[in-house]
Amino acid sequence: MAEEEVVDPKKYLEESCKPKCVKPLLEYQACVKRIQGDDSGHKHCTGQYFDYWSCIDKCVSSFDFPFSVHFVIFLYVMILR
Amino acid sequence: MVGGGVIQQILRRKLHSQSLATPVLSWFASKKVNEDAGSSGVRALALLGAGVTGLFSFSTVASADEAEHGLACPDYPWPHDGILSSYDHASIRRGHQVYQQVCASCHSMSLISYRDLVGVAYTEEEAKAMAAEIEVVDGPNDEGEMFTRPGKLSDRLPQPYANESAARFANGGAYPPDLSLITKARHNGQNYVFALLTGYRDPPAGISIREGLHYNPYFPGGAIAMPKMLNDEAVEYEDGVPATEAQMGKDVVSFLSWAAEPEMEERKLMGFKWIFLLSLALLQAAYYRRLKWSVLKSRKLVLDVVN
Repeated sequence: MAEEEVVDPKKYLEESCKPKCVKPLLEYQACVKRIQGDDSGHKHCTGQYFDYWSCIDKCVSSFDFPFSVHFVIFLYVMILR
Repeated sequence: MVGGGVIQQILRRKLHSQSLATPVLSWFASKKVNEDAGSSGVRALALLGAGVTGLFSFSTVASADEAEHGLACPDYPWPHDGILSSYDHASIRRGHQVYQQVCASCHSMSLISYRDLVGVAYTEEEAKAMAAEIEVVDGPNDEGEMFTRPGKLSDRLPQPYANESAARFANGGAYPPDLSLITKARHNGQNYVFALLTGYRDPPAGISIREGLHYNPYFPGGAIAMPKMLNDEAVEYEDGVPATEAQMGKDVVSFLSWAAEPEMEERKLMGFKWIFLLSLALLQAAYYRRLKWSVLKSRKLVLDVVN
């Protein structure tokens, strides 16, 4: 059996989109720091979290060409090289 | 008109006077003097003020709706998206396999029969063999008793639970919805289902989900009863395609899209044909109408004035 290193294309694209979405990520991290001391349970960072993930999602969906077997094989070959 | 004039007077007085007291006093004075004429102007001002405060309060309420509506899902480039694009039938076949092995233990698809799969994802023999694997209650027989028999092509896909109550009881009160029409039953269904299935993430800071529920940003409210079901290599595809989470998500959504809209390919062909033909007919009709009306539209009328 050949060694199969199966890479999930979506996760790979999300990782490669992270540099494009640094600003919302920093905003989210700043929010996390801000609410760290809070114990009331009312403070949360959903807004910043949504901003970050919608940036990543936009980037992923604009980048992916019709994801199909061919794309997975392409990635597979790319990783092995 | 008069109300506007009164407002202008008030504003001019406010600008010209020095202290705060005089404009207020003069405003009240002018209000009393021009009561009938000025009341419409005052009313307009009051309405404007009410509107502005209303708008402010509305904006603070709207920001709390973010998690309520769920994170908006992006638009993925589905292979069957184009005006003349068909389904990827190999993907539908794989998607059915994912449904059978991962989803069918909780979700029913009670509107799909085995015969619907013939010619779409499986051959007739394959579909017959698949149907024969399930036990179906039939009857009554000549003795009046219900009996079980192996499935046939005409039977519906099997249901995991006898009824909704049983489904809720087995899933902590949550009902796993029937998936026959799910991509049509949800806004932006195809993209939503894909985003939901592949979108299980850690909750944001400050959000805690109770025991028994899981965080999913795309689900309205954020707390969904279904755990993450698609994991890499959960299914071994018959055609050898590597079963990554995204691949399984794409295949199962293709299958669900087909299940909800099996007529899509025929519809697109018909639509393309008829829109083309009707456009030609429109051109012909426009020409014919203008031809017939040209007689009337080019006539000249002479008014004969009696001297």
